[in-house]
Amino acid sequence: MSRNEYMAALRAALAVLPEEERAGALRYYEEYFDDAGPENEQRVIDELGDPARVAAQILADYRELTAVPPPQQQDVPGKRGGKGMSPWALLAIVLLALVFGAPLIVTLVGVLLAVVAIAAALLIVAAVLPLSLLLGGGALVVFSCFLWLHPANALVTLGTGLMCMAAGALLGLLFIKLCVLFVPPVFRGLVAALRWPFDKLRGRSVTQ
Amino acid sequence: MSYPIASSLLDGVVLAVVERESTYGYRITQDVQQVLDISESTLYPVLRRLQKDGCLTTYDENFAGRNRRYYRITEHGRARLRQHRIDWQNYRNGIDTIFFGG
Repeated sequence: MSRNEYMAALRAALAVLPEEERAGALRYYEEYFDDAGPENEQRVIDELGDPARVAAQILADYRELTAVPPPQQQDVPGKRGGKGMSPWALLAIVLLALVFGAPLIVTLVGVLLAVVAIAAALLIVAAVLPLSLLLGGGALVVFSCFLWLHPANALVTLGTGLMCMAAGALLGLLFIKLCVLFVPPVFRGLVAALRWPFDKLRGRSVTQ
Repeated sequence: MSYPIASSLLDGVVLAVVERESTYGYRITQDVQQVLDISESTLYPVLRRLQKDGCLTTYDENFAGRNRRYYRITEHGRARLRQHRIDWQNYRNGIDTIFFGG
């Protein structure tokens, strides 16, 4: 096969291509032969191989180049919630939920705040009670010194003061013990509860 | 042993050759054949694709009374080549570790 025969075969095999594509491909190989030089002509023909195969490669590549990619909307936002839900649908659902759930949310928040306030109040009382007992008892003890003119009164005051201080100390220790036992699990539970909606949005990437 | 050549590797090699010096199809094929065992017909589709992707542009120059089409790398092509270089290093380091220990 000569160069001209080869190129003619190639041209025929590429007939299905648009004019511009075919011209580009043929031009490439014409120049290729030119640059290889006449002395390499037969080597090039041998190494190129069957013109039908060369053409098939060009055609396959062209089809790939010009194929319209299918709408892969789900793959692009694959970072979050790969459940195949488009971000727009998700946004719409969230907005609807907000609109209809707003009164409910406000109520829930109100209840939550009330609960927090009560808990805080109880905590404060629990903390303050031992402290006040200690301080009050201490004050009574001190005061009893001034009553030494009336020994009976002094002794009663002293005794009461010491008892208050003891009660305060014991209650204080109890309070501290309860704190150590209950605060960490409650805290962790709160954090997990707060994280739950965010984990849901991220498709539970944490628990995977 | 000759390893099968991934098309992405071929893209990178072609881009690197053209980055070194804007040149024409036959020259590119010869340069690549120094390193990879490819057939003469392999490169036209690669060049065409890189052109379509905007990694290469072409220009014509007169040579010995005829036209010769040259390929030149674009900014986009340079960026793609940078990525190819990184990918290759990762790939090579991985294989090196397996073959020769880390």
